Amino acid sequence: MSKNIAIQVSLKKYTLETVRYAAHSLGGAAYALLKPLPGDKVLVELAPKKGSGAGLPGRLSAALEDERLRERVAAENRDLREFMLLKALTWRPRPVEKDDSGLTPQQEKELNDLIAQIEGEIKGEAGAAASADPLGITSTWEEKHDNKKAGKKKR
Amino acid sequence: MTTRKPAKKSAERASGLPYFSFRRLPGGAVLLSNDAGFTASLRAADFALFSAGRLAKGTPLHKELAAKGFVRDLTDFEGCAAACSKRNAFLGAGPGLHILVMTLRCNHKCLYCQSGALGAAGSRSDMSRAVARKSVDFALKSTNPGITIEFQGGEPLLNWDVLRDTVLYARRRGRDLGREVRLALVSNFSLMTEEKARFLLQNEVSICTSLDGPADLHNRNRTYAGGNSHAATVRWLKYFNDSAAKQVPEYRAFKPSALLTVTKYSLGREKEIINEYLRQGLSDIFVRPLAPIGYARKLWPQIGYTSAEFAAFYRSCLDYMIKLNAAGKKIRERNAVIMLEKIVNGSDPGYLDMRCPCGAAIGQLAYNYNGDLYTCDEGRMVGWEGDDLFRVGNVMKDSYRKVMLAPATRACASASNLELQPQCSRCAYKPFCGVCPVYNYETQGSLWGDMPSNERCALSMGVFDALFGLLAKPAGAKILKGWVTP
Repeated sequence: MSKNIAIQVSLKKYTLETVRYAAHSLGGAAYALLKPLPGDKVLVELAPKKGSGAGLPGRLSAALEDERLRERVAAENRDLREFMLLKALTWRPRPVEKDDSGLTPQQEKELNDLIAQIEGEIKGEAGAAASADPLGITSTWEEKHDNKKAGKKKR
Repeated sequence: MTTRKPAKKSAERASGLPYFSFRRLPGGAVLLSNDAGFTASLRAADFALFSAGRLAKGTPLHKELAAKGFVRDLTDFEGCAAACSKRNAFLGAGPGLHILVMTLRCNHKCLYCQSGALGAAGSRSDMSRAVARKSVDFALKSTNPGITIEFQGGEPLLNWDVLRDTVLYARRRGRDLGREVRLALVSNFSLMTEEKARFLLQNEVSICTSLDGPADLHNRNRTYAGGNSHAATVRWLKYFNDSAAKQVPEYRAFKPSALLTVTKYSLGREKEIINEYLRQGLSDIFVRPLAPIGYARKLWPQIGYTSAEFAAFYRSCLDYMIKLNAAGKKIRERNAVIMLEKIVNGSDPGYLDMRCPCGAAIGQLAYNYNGDLYTCDEGRMVGWEGDDLFRVGNVMKDSYRKVMLAPATRACASASNLELQPQCSRCAYKPFCGVCPVYNYETQGSLWGDMPSNERCALSMGVFDALFGLLAKPAGAKILKGWVTP
């Protein structure tokens, strides 16, 4: 009968979650039991299902490293993933824009010329104040509201 | 997803990496995938650089990864969301596949039969006309814009009169309601006649049968006391193939299809089996592994095999088919086509066994001969063994809403959500894969199962490893991609 393998893992290096996932990933080859140890450590006991289980310590080490990376990218990107998946759930293809202005090519040209003229005038009037944003239109929600919160706290 | 926790330890610098899953492939390469279903294969050294956030910018690999959403700062969220939405488009549709078990009787005694078929005599397990019509009405309640009604058994031709009536009724109801209704028949052909075949063709019923390989192998797997199963199969395959080749203006004649169930006796006979398919004019072969459910479970020591043995068999089949394709012969493997549709085209091929959540009730329903409704045909087979865990209602008594909200419907949807499966949620094959709660229940005693020790998971891994191994090689990739691109 094959012998159980016991491996100590430092919880300073890996989270308990990482150890749990890594041990579980070996479930095809061994039964895994986790036991807390003093000094921020956990004991992983592996009972091989077949054979000696000689390769299991190496597989656990590799799995710990891989699981640590997985856990890290999952934690760092949780909000982004939720944002993207929410976007996917509500995503609809953009309707193809049709040219249905009803204007003749001549009328369209005149209109474009007029718009260009007005835009030019606005640009000229804006002048040096062009970079100002008195209404805070370009600010993000966080920029606006975090400033207000900070102000309230100060008072 | 894992439980919410702080994004990083204070002492640890953020990696700057986007979310991705990865798998170290047998050859040493590392496969990346993400929620949008994009994949990239990296050499081990490149993966080490990538995961350390030190991959050189501007290189072709960096550009490829950026285009596929593997560089966080350059991710096109709109594009990723669109890709994710496209591959999960089935989520908003109701059940599309409706399996009507016309009878439990069968004149075959196949070694692997999951259907719990009875002998050919008697008719107590035949679906009545009333139940069949009610089943069609129920199927038409589905919100899915296009439904398929599949006639199965047992051997459905043993209940021909009701089958015939149901075909006509479904066609009429479909016309009345302006609904697209596809009809399909799964038969062993042993009771097929010219008259029945003509009726099926005229009513645009597509035909599927089983073909396990050359005569000796087929007949060994598919015992038929009434004669030669293989002879009947090839005779009617030829008939339906010829009809599809001719076509007439009055109706569409579909090319017939066939299913291969791999038993221990099939191992090592890949070329003979594929050659038999070619000989019978079939251009697709569905290499299906055996499941230790129903009758097959009792005979598992005799006909079963390990996931590693199936993976080797499957890889040999693919290698041979690629050789044949390179030599100009057209033959495709259906598992590969289904997966490639997801991997290459980023779309959902409508295969209910490999999606998240699985098709149980929300993608398909199985209607037993007596009107009992099950999450799927496999769930019905568990019911036949005396365990009604997967029963979701009865067409004569229950409303569509009640069936869609049945405990088994909800339990299967939860159990087959890969984000909730500890191993699957981190797997690189997640965007293309699916688990089967019925298989888990039958083999591991719970709907959730345990993937690291789950043979179905190992089988799927073998199929994906083979496909991604071939996709990494230009010659193999060209042929495989050609299977799913016009």
